[in-house]
Amino acid sequence: MPAYSLNINNKNYTVEADAEMPLLWVLRDLLDLTGTKYGCGVASCGACTVIIDDNAVFACRRTVGNCVNKKIITIEGLSEDGSHPVQKAWQQAAVPQCGYCQPGQMMSAAALLIKNKRPSEPRDQ
Amino acid sequence: MKKEKIDRRNFIKLSSLATGSLAIGFMVPGLKALAIPVTECEFFQPNAYLKIDKKGKVTVYVAKQESGQGVDTALPMIVAEEMDVDFRNVRSEIAPYGTMKAGEHDTGGSQSVMTMYASLRNAGAVAKTMLVAAAAEIWKTDVKNCAADNGEVVNTINMQRIKYGDLVCRAALLPLPKTVSLKNPKDFKLIGKPEKRSNVKDVLTGKAKYGLDIKLDGMLYAVAERCPVLDGTLVSVDDTAARKVPGVIKIVSYTGTGAPMHVRAGVAVIATNTWAAIRAKELLQITWDEGKKNKESTDVLFKTFEAKAGSKPQVPVFNKGDVTKFSGKNEISADYAQPFLAHATIEPMNFVAAAKANSLELWGGLQLPDWAVNTIAEVSGIKKENIKLNLTLMGGAFGRRLHFDFAIEAVKIAQQVDKPVKLMWERTEDILHSMYRPANYHRLTANTAGGKLVSWQHHILGTPVSYMTEGPGSKNFDEVNSADAGFWYDVPNISTGYTPVDININRGWVRSVDICVNTFPIECFIDELAASLKKDPLDFRLSLLENRKDYTFGKEPMLLTQSPARIAGVLKMAADKIGYSNKRKPNHFIGLATHAFIFAKAFAAHAIEIEMLEPWKFTIKRVVAAIDCGLVINPDGLLNQMQGGFVFGLTQALKGEITVKDSRVMQDGFSGYELLRFDEMPPIEILVAASTEEPGGVGEVGVSTVAPALCNALAAAGHRPRTLPIRKAGYSWV
Repeated sequence: MPAYSLNINNKNYTVEADAEMPLLWVLRDLLDLTGTKYGCGVASCGACTVIIDDNAVFACRRTVGNCVNKKIITIEGLSEDGSHPVQKAWQQAAVPQCGYCQPGQMMSAAALLIKNKRPSEPRDQ
Repeated sequence: MKKEKIDRRNFIKLSSLATGSLAIGFMVPGLKALAIPVTECEFFQPNAYLKIDKKGKVTVYVAKQESGQGVDTALPMIVAEEMDVDFRNVRSEIAPYGTMKAGEHDTGGSQSVMTMYASLRNAGAVAKTMLVAAAAEIWKTDVKNCAADNGEVVNTINMQRIKYGDLVCRAALLPLPKTVSLKNPKDFKLIGKPEKRSNVKDVLTGKAKYGLDIKLDGMLYAVAERCPVLDGTLVSVDDTAARKVPGVIKIVSYTGTGAPMHVRAGVAVIATNTWAAIRAKELLQITWDEGKKNKESTDVLFKTFEAKAGSKPQVPVFNKGDVTKFSGKNEISADYAQPFLAHATIEPMNFVAAAKANSLELWGGLQLPDWAVNTIAEVSGIKKENIKLNLTLMGGAFGRRLHFDFAIEAVKIAQQVDKPVKLMWERTEDILHSMYRPANYHRLTANTAGGKLVSWQHHILGTPVSYMTEGPGSKNFDEVNSADAGFWYDVPNISTGYTPVDININRGWVRSVDICVNTFPIECFIDELAASLKKDPLDFRLSLLENRKDYTFGKEPMLLTQSPARIAGVLKMAADKIGYSNKRKPNHFIGLATHAFIFAKAFAAHAIEIEMLEPWKFTIKRVVAAIDCGLVINPDGLLNQMQGGFVFGLTQALKGEITVKDSRVMQDGFSGYELLRFDEMPPIEILVAASTEEPGGVGEVGVSTVAPALCNALAAAGHRPRTLPIRKAGYSWV
């Protein structure tokens, strides 16, 4: 089994995994980073969203072989203490109900803020 | 108390307070008997529901299972209110399984607040009473001179104060009070004020552990391929290729079960990680015996419904007056159809089991853990007392985890391997093999005379849940339990009947259960009748509600009260807020619908305003929901439930549909079974009726009025959909 060096949340990890193993299962099963959630496995729900090199990426469809030499951020690394602006906003609005999909939702929002510091609401009403 | 030496379970027994018939858990024989010096005490736990430590921090053990409905906040609020503590010093924990009374862990039917309200008030009041008594002892004064105040006891004579935390060890030595007095609800400080969810921070940092996040030493991962046809059997499996996948540990098969859960026969791949298990599963070559019932379809089912709708209902449900005397006179009839629906919880089903020769340890979310453990004991041959269950957070449930097929499977798999196993259902399996909300069909027939509705006939046809849970002989039909007398409109002659129709597909309870399948046909048909009588739909409804007194029916313990006045109340609130009587903008239409979920003493209405963009294309401009559920514990939680209920209801109205061909479900993921998307969510306003009635439950009530309100708006615009989802009629929306 090949070994891969991964940079996740500014820490280096080495994992032995099939090259095709999606990052989602590397995070969850091999590294115990279970904040990234499985929802569909086919990039349709977004529960597994992580940030790779400043882009929101569905971890269920990104193979570990394609994660080397990249900067991966998961919900556990969004901030040390829940103080990322997205986390604070989510807390203030008490967003989560069951909360299962929220790590993915927040990583999506955090990735948006990397690209666009002041996004406006696309609303027509 | 030296907690490391004392097993909590041994000290918690059940008893009842002299104040009423309520049983509360409390600690026996009490710490006095143990003679633990006050200095060694760490916390005071007067009953199974709460403990308070020396810093004054309160832990509330929540008996009900959290799946996003907010019991982890609403239930602790009830305790904190009677305890008189600052809610910021209260945290909630899942009550360890087995520490509550039988049935108290059960979570469903919007019952959590209703059924726990009295017990939790008592539990909080007991703690407060004992803390006050402890202070009185210290001050050598009468308890009458002591009062609880926000985490402290005040000596009302000299205004000295002692913090609760400084009293816990003394309180732990006191006998339980024979009686406690509860607050007058007028004096509530916490109940009725919005509180944000207590566990939010763990969710926001990815630390919250759902069932799927459980990890144990040496734990293996499993996925399974299940027989595509319910109650089919495994003939053979060729796993040669699958076994070669690196990481695969073992491939096992297991047999299906009949009622209550109809677990399908399956083949499970057990591996060192989920990915290896999924890959290997795809390489399995399995031959199934599908049995004789492998050609059934929803096409045939709905044709059967339609064919039988004109016959006499198989099961009479409710008769009042004589509907036959108006037969054929000013008669209007319409048929309505609703499909099978899936729960589609975002966390797919999963369960962890560790099996030893004579014992089991289990981890996962279960809404009915007692029933699950009893059944698992039977299936596994392990004695119930040797089964330890650890309940976890659920990533949505909507009734899916009332069923425990996945837990039985995990046990069957774990018994074939010597390490703990986490079974995960892939999304495909989750949609393909759910416990679907029954498909149902309705023929409504009514007669009018002199401008009035004089007769109402409702033939309900459905695929009963109980055929699955109890077997085909069952006569418990959830769709009609109390649908009869609970019908809210005042009509002199009524005949309601039910015809069960079977199909070889599993079904079960889905949020907005039981009689809620009748809201769509009733609330659409009442609009149709108003139109035929040239009456306004709101005025017509009110004329059938407003003069009707509350009435009680059913038998203990399911004595139910219908309150037409409360239904009329929420209907008027919703209609007023949306500006129902104002002149509409061009191409704007408003639809209304109302109902009662009387099992949870809750009444709700939706008013939906749409704009028609093209003849078959619309946009929802505004939604107003109104609810009367008695005393509200946490208004913020109520808003969440009503918003979530609307999303659930709009999904059902627009696109939710499970279809069956060759006894197989044709949808296998979110692409086939679509849920509402962000950009489809209209603005929603929620109104809450002020009420001092006992608290009801809010999980179910806000769902089933969405589809009829929308369809009534569409009908006002010109075309009435009578089949859900409405996209089948050719509607699109933006």
